[in-house]
Amino acid sequence: MGLTFRKGDLLAIGSVLLCAALVAAGLWVKARGVDNVTAQIYRDGQMIREVSLDRETTFDVKGDYTNTVTVKDGKIAITQSDCPGGDCIHSGWVSAAGRAIVCLPNRVEIRLAGVGEVDAVIQ
Amino acid sequence: MKKTKTRQLALCALLIALALGLSYVERFIPLQLVVPLPGVKLGLANIVTLMALYFLGPRTAFTVLVLRCFLGSLFGGGISGLAFSLTGGLLSMCTMTLLRRVPFLSVYGVSVCGAAAHNLGQILAAMVLLDSTYVVAYLPLLLAVAVGTGLVTGAACAGSFRALKAAGIQNFWQ
Repeated sequence: MGLTFRKGDLLAIGSVLLCAALVAAGLWVKARGVDNVTAQIYRDGQMIREVSLDRETTFDVKGDYTNTVTVKDGKIAITQSDCPGGDCIHSGWVSAAGRAIVCLPNRVEIRLAGVGEVDAVIQ
Repeated sequence: MKKTKTRQLALCALLIALALGLSYVERFIPLQLVVPLPGVKLGLANIVTLMALYFLGPRTAFTVLVLRCFLGSLFGGGISGLAFSLTGGLLSMCTMTLLRRVPFLSVYGVSVCGAAAHNLGQILAAMVLLDSTYVVAYLPLLLAVAVGTGLVTGAACAGSFRALKAAGIQNFWQ
């Protein structure tokens, strides 16, 4: 293991980026054609609420901490949280099927599920 | 024999303390503001894992890593924090143990792959803990981020190794 950058390192970087691109492409293909998306709020692996992204709303998800969830302009975000770190707020606004917002300290997950999955679109 | 044992113990303790210190310092580097994703951090403690691996071998590196994760969770990661740091850390260490013998890779390449493996491990832990495959959505960006953080920690390692070598320390056991 040398201490100076080598050409082989570019190969390592390239493979990592290729993996990233492949996963991203897979997610994109899966989300394509799904325009009817609902947000499912999970806490401790249990779905506690399902909301449509069409209607503007704000509500609190209470657990060990409190996450304030906001739906606006067809997108959803955790806009306020008293959890340490606040990573869930930093995740920002999401709207595409297959995406998720996670608040690990509160064990809360917002999943964006496609209602009309690809099969339904084909029919 | 006795001298080696004492030395080994002292060195492990030193490296664990260094790793814990670096994890703490890392909290003050707001990388999240640049890349807004859960779990994004520089991974400065990875420098210590790489250093332990390089100078002391996989067995000691493993000990340092596991003890660092347990102590880190006592200091404020909690049980779920432990699951994340152990899964990520072990996957990263295994990857770096295998790759460090690859002749065409330098410490930079090894570090980047280690960082990527760490982030992959964290996603796997999240999939199990949350019982959800949706967290995979975070993977592409986390892998891309790993390239940057891996290069930074790799540079820090290269610098540390050079300094140690310049000080005439080739082998910690001596």
